[in-house]
Amino acid sequence: MRADATLAWALLRGSDRREWWRTSLTALGALLATFLGLAAVTVGTVSGHTQVPYGNGLLDEAGTRMGVVVALLGLLIPVLGFLGQCARLGAVHRDRRLAALRLAGATPAQVRRIAALESGFACLAGAVLALCGFVVLLLAATHTARPPLAWLGYAVVTLGVPAVAVLVSVLALRRVVASPLGWVRRTRPERSTTGVAFTAAGMLAIGGAVAALLIRGSSASAALFPLAFVAALALSGLAAVSVAGASAKLLGKRLATSSRPAVLIAAGRLRMDPWAASRTHASVLLVTVVAVGFMGLWQLTRAQTAAGVILAENADYYLGGYHLTGLGLLLALAISLGALAIGTAESLTTRRRALAAQAAAGVPRSVLRRALLLETALPLAPAVLLAGVGGMGLYATYASMMATVAMPVVLPLLTPLLVYAICLLAAAASLPLLRRAVRPAELRHE
Amino acid sequence: MSTQQGAPLIAARDLTKTYGRTGAALRGACVELAAGEILAVTGASGSGKSTLLHCLAGIVTPDEGAVVYGQRRLDQLSEADRTLLRRTDFGVVFQFGQLIPELTALDNAALPLLLAGTSRGQARERADAWLERFGVRGQAELRPGEMSGGQAQRVALARALVTEPKAVFADEPTGALDSLAGEQVMTALVHTAREAGTAVLLVTHDAQTAAYADREVELRDGTVLEVAEAPDLAETAQPTEAPQVTEAGHEG
Repeated sequence: MRADATLAWALLRGSDRREWWRTSLTALGALLATFLGLAAVTVGTVSGHTQVPYGNGLLDEAGTRMGVVVALLGLLIPVLGFLGQCARLGAVHRDRRLAALRLAGATPAQVRRIAALESGFACLAGAVLALCGFVVLLLAATHTARPPLAWLGYAVVTLGVPAVAVLVSVLALRRVVASPLGWVRRTRPERSTTGVAFTAAGMLAIGGAVAALLIRGSSASAALFPLAFVAALALSGLAAVSVAGASAKLLGKRLATSSRPAVLIAAGRLRMDPWAASRTHASVLLVTVVAVGFMGLWQLTRAQTAAGVILAENADYYLGGYHLTGLGLLLALAISLGALAIGTAESLTTRRRALAAQAAAGVPRSVLRRALLLETALPLAPAVLLAGVGGMGLYATYASMMATVAMPVVLPLLTPLLVYAICLLAAAASLPLLRRAVRPAELRHE
Repeated sequence: MSTQQGAPLIAARDLTKTYGRTGAALRGACVELAAGEILAVTGASGSGKSTLLHCLAGIVTPDEGAVVYGQRRLDQLSEADRTLLRRTDFGVVFQFGQLIPELTALDNAALPLLLAGTSRGQARERADAWLERFGVRGQAELRPGEMSGGQAQRVALARALVTEPKAVFADEPTGALDSLAGEQVMTALVHTAREAGTAVLLVTHDAQTAAYADREVELRDGTVLEVAEAPDLAETAQPTEAPQVTEAGHEG
């Protein structure tokens, strides 16, 4: 292990600019994850009723504090998506390096350990930076006492984030077979019918739970509510992610005979790697489900306040909570869009030789630009639609139980459209790279 | 098939290898490599030269046939065991691209030792000696991108020989070099291999490079066609003094 760590460190130190991008963004992701973890520990270790001068009283009671902890941990999902996209940066270069290591006599397990330790070093740097920043914030907020348990928690989070990163990298690379001859393939286990059966059973269970939820006033609905809500949320997100991949596959096949060059190029790309769309858009789609539900509930609370259902003196408490949640969602969306932009830029960089060859063969740059946007737009449309339907379903279920006023639908309906437009803008942000990618000099790249 | 006396170091018998639908790369190829022998495998592009080298070096396994190394069937060893052999008993050199761009020449040359768990200081010391033998000690702290092709190839040779292997497999080692740099690389390889008693299997389509070998076999359509003794060529290729390579200069 020591030899592996020495080599991983030497590889990291010798990295070029492209590798440093990956390392820096990985460290940034680890910084965010650690910061969220440290914040969750801080909130989680406060006990009993406490007057906290932040969050409109949301942090005063144990019950609402638990909700804040869950929300902070929930923000880790887009951060993990971001880290996943960072790992794909420079994948071609990394694969060549793995092959070179294999040629020099490294075993497949050794190669995986070295690659994972590289991520671990970057994450450790990010985690330590986050701890330093967080300690500065804690020192500034001197009016809140912190129990010793909190410090233990900080240590666990700071060391845990890089450790988890190494573990996840090893697991992610466990099916990657690097050959000394320079090709890397990912082996996949056969899809088992047991897995499908379990998924179907899970869906049925969730369906039953949601149905029970609708039986108002019954004791079952109260007990099943949190479980059913979280399960339905996860299911909606997973369904949207699956639809992104499946629609990319279908559209890739169907549009392969199109007479429009941009559509034809985009279809070819979708056919080649249909599940790239679901990987790239996963966290955006999960955020969309939550955002649609959130926008509906926020609008509903405002309507209830206006109608006097919620007393004016309590309105600040509720709306303050919504505003904090909204801020968290904006952060999650920003992280997800960052990951999307990184994914698109990486896809473009990886294919620069093929793109340069197309440009050299006379394909206009405008066609390539449209093709790149279509690659994002085509599979994302049905997936965002499904995510919107999922979020709307959750909102409608909740609102039907709680609301005494008409259910507002304008903002929840607009949210998926807005997310879709922002995603296209994020993808378009990488288009300036196309100008560089299609230069004749890129034809020399392997 | 070998002209050498005694048991061969490595023997390939009736090797068959097919890649996808592209047809058979090897069709019953047989070849033997004696200890300390320099053997050139020549043939046109697509004749199966590289596949034969990959099978003999344990990088790929043949579909049929046997590769015998000492008392072991290489084709029946696990991937992990073949990897271990490549680290200890074999060295491999390709046309280009086998060096790791992030590591210095010294670390690249020391890589097999580092992977085997040798301490960094010891590994670098041994690698340094090999870089000196190949005339690239002056480039020890340079990265592959900062060296000429010839220098990078000599670093690759140092890496292949740093574990003092029984055999070195060189696939077109001069293919990406100009004639002068190619000559310097081949002179260094042949001289060092003879000095260390290391066998070399040299895959090339270049007659001038093949002339450095003791013996030459030609492959055509995956089959060994002919065996040519080349004592006169081997003699002329044997250097009588240290390789004529410059310490710091680029061969261009």
